Amino acid sequence: MTHTVLPTTAQPPPPAPARTRLSRGTSVLLLGGLLLAVVVIASTGLGARDISALEIVKILLHPGGSGYNHDVLWTERIPRTLLGLAVGASLGASGLVMQALTMNPLSDPGVLGVEQGAAMFVVLGILFLDVSDAGGFFWLALAGSAVTAALVYLIGTRTNAGSTTIGLVLAGVAIAAVLASLVTLLVVRDEAVYSSLRFWSVGQLTGRAQVLGEIAPFAVVGLLLALPLGRTLNLLSLGEESARGLGLRVQRAQLAAAAVAVTLCAAATAAVGPVAFVGLVAAHLARMLVGADHRWSLPLSMLCGAVLLVGADTVGRVVLDHGEVQVSVMTAIVGTPFFVWLARRRDLVRM
Amino acid sequence: MTGIRVPAHTPAPTAGPAPAQQPDVAVTAARLRAARRAATRRAALLACVLVLVLAALLVASVLLGGTRNIPAGDVLPAAFGLRTGLADYVIHRIRLPRALAALLAGALFGLSGALYQRLIRNPLATPDIVGISAGAGAGAVTVLLFAPAVPFGVEGAALAGSFLLVGIVLALSRRGGRVDTFRLVLIGIGMAAVCTAYVNYLFSLAGQHSIAQVTRWLVGSVSGATWDGVTTLAVAFLACALAAAPLGRALGAMSLGDQLAAGLGTRVGRARTAALLLGAAAAALATSVTGPIGFVSLVSGPIAVRLVGADRSLPLAAPIGAVMVLGADVLAQHGPLISPVPTGVLTALLGAPYFVWLILRRGQGATS
Repeated sequence: MTHTVLPTTAQPPPPAPARTRLSRGTSVLLLGGLLLAVVVIASTGLGARDISALEIVKILLHPGGSGYNHDVLWTERIPRTLLGLAVGASLGASGLVMQALTMNPLSDPGVLGVEQGAAMFVVLGILFLDVSDAGGFFWLALAGSAVTAALVYLIGTRTNAGSTTIGLVLAGVAIAAVLASLVTLLVVRDEAVYSSLRFWSVGQLTGRAQVLGEIAPFAVVGLLLALPLGRTLNLLSLGEESARGLGLRVQRAQLAAAAVAVTLCAAATAAVGPVAFVGLVAAHLARMLVGADHRWSLPLSMLCGAVLLVGADTVGRVVLDHGEVQVSVMTAIVGTPFFVWLARRRDLVRM
Repeated sequence: MTGIRVPAHTPAPTAGPAPAQQPDVAVTAARLRAARRAATRRAALLACVLVLVLAALLVASVLLGGTRNIPAGDVLPAAFGLRTGLADYVIHRIRLPRALAALLAGALFGLSGALYQRLIRNPLATPDIVGISAGAGAGAVTVLLFAPAVPFGVEGAALAGSFLLVGIVLALSRRGGRVDTFRLVLIGIGMAAVCTAYVNYLFSLAGQHSIAQVTRWLVGSVSGATWDGVTTLAVAFLACALAAAPLGRALGAMSLGDQLAAGLGTRVGRARTAALLLGAAAAALATSVTGPIGFVSLVSGPIAVRLVGADRSLPLAAPIGAVMVLGADVLAQHGPLISPVPTGVLTALLGAPYFVWLILRRGQGATS
């Protein structure tokens, strides 16, 4: 049906000697860790309120203290940074798994409309079921993203628009447009409801620090479930036939990987609303750095996603004199040139 | 050869009788002439039906909000601005401009979409999908928030934004000297995302803004249209329709292939540039008044092609777009359960499923 083997993407990992791959992977992971440290420090240190570096260190060393700066740091910036890390890593992993499963370099939970689906279910839950806690949001988002992912996949792989690559993106755009319209339809009549629920069409980290405790477990479980998928994804990328020949239960493996991707996407959306392009950019960066071996690229994609999201959020926080730019706006501005660059690639449009 | 679908009922010209058989040629020619006459009659009939539907929708749009406090005899004079007080306010200031703005903006969107579909030969490459409306909206919002006092600033910025987007999308989707239409659609989708993000950024920059403003510039809505807006739209529609009339023949020739069109005396390069800019200008001017109402330019063209065939689709796409936006707006104002909502929400809800149907049913041959 769908997994017509696309020869361009179904290459096995290049047969590099094991040791150089290991050392390269290690050095890339180290570099990534360093970048992560930089964005985490920046995200903790920068914000609307100037707090000197010395004072930050002092506050961090004395977690039991009190005072305004202390509160800003411990109840706002640190949880926000951690939430950004969890969401970014989830989106990075989700993007890479989706790309591997659909064999489509443009797959991304935001581009394919899956996050919009999750957000719409959350809005429905808020309006009609009186759900108000982040744990409830997660289950609604999970249902929404599962339904949307199935729908987009079914439509996208049945189109004849040049290739399934484009078909999936077009299906995602159409489904996202319908879902976004439905969200607007539901919330637009009441000014107060609208401004409080506009969050669910423009993802942001502002004021979401308190959901960390409720969402983090789901994200962490999802990430832990994703980590061992590397080998399975490697086998799947050889094509269904070969994977079956090598002893993989193809459909079960595909379903499991899709479930993990959808779970991660749901956790991210329940936490911060729809944020597109993070998964797309993270997955490609990871593959550029360590090649097609998913055992390496999957953890690296999580790392890239975390760096991207926290970095974008930090920049969005300091770029305006007053107020903040939502993180989804920042990622769209960073991610679209990347998307365009991918769309220009010769092998993409007609596989 | 895409986007060109001869309706099934049109008697297809039978494939070539030998030229030596004189009577057969005459019969075929007569049959072709008859078929063309029939198609023209059908197009004219459809145009009349559409005009009637538009008139009915216009009346519905003006009257449906209730006329309890307005004497029945005052409605028509009030529409022409001959009454004062409540009748003048409700009919002349609020309802009529709104209905006319919906009608004219729909016509402009329909025309722009049909131009692009006819030119690019991909039904998905319309100004709303490839981000041209979004670019116009981004330009308009920039002026609206930072230099609202500049005369014609919003319209000018919308035009500039749309032309910029056309240039960027075309330049980016050109590769190896030719433009792949599906790459163009993909890149357009990406550029639309940037423009939407930019509008969101502008609104967070500006801080104070009403919900009506945000929804208008992100979703598109005709609520709150004024006579100034209607004037802009009317002038834009007249100009675009006049400019599109001579382009129709050139586009028809170009649908045979650029070389053949050049052989038939069409200036291909000039016609292509003119059609691209004209379509963008139509979408931009409509957007400058109503915001980027989505999926109208996508849907109008294919419906027109389906009804009267590709050759006559261009003039018919405008009234179809007008029916769509005006109808959606009547529904958006008075529909049970859902009203009132921004017009663009309903056009997206109607148009996006059609879009899905379109990408599902297009055959492989339609992509080249």
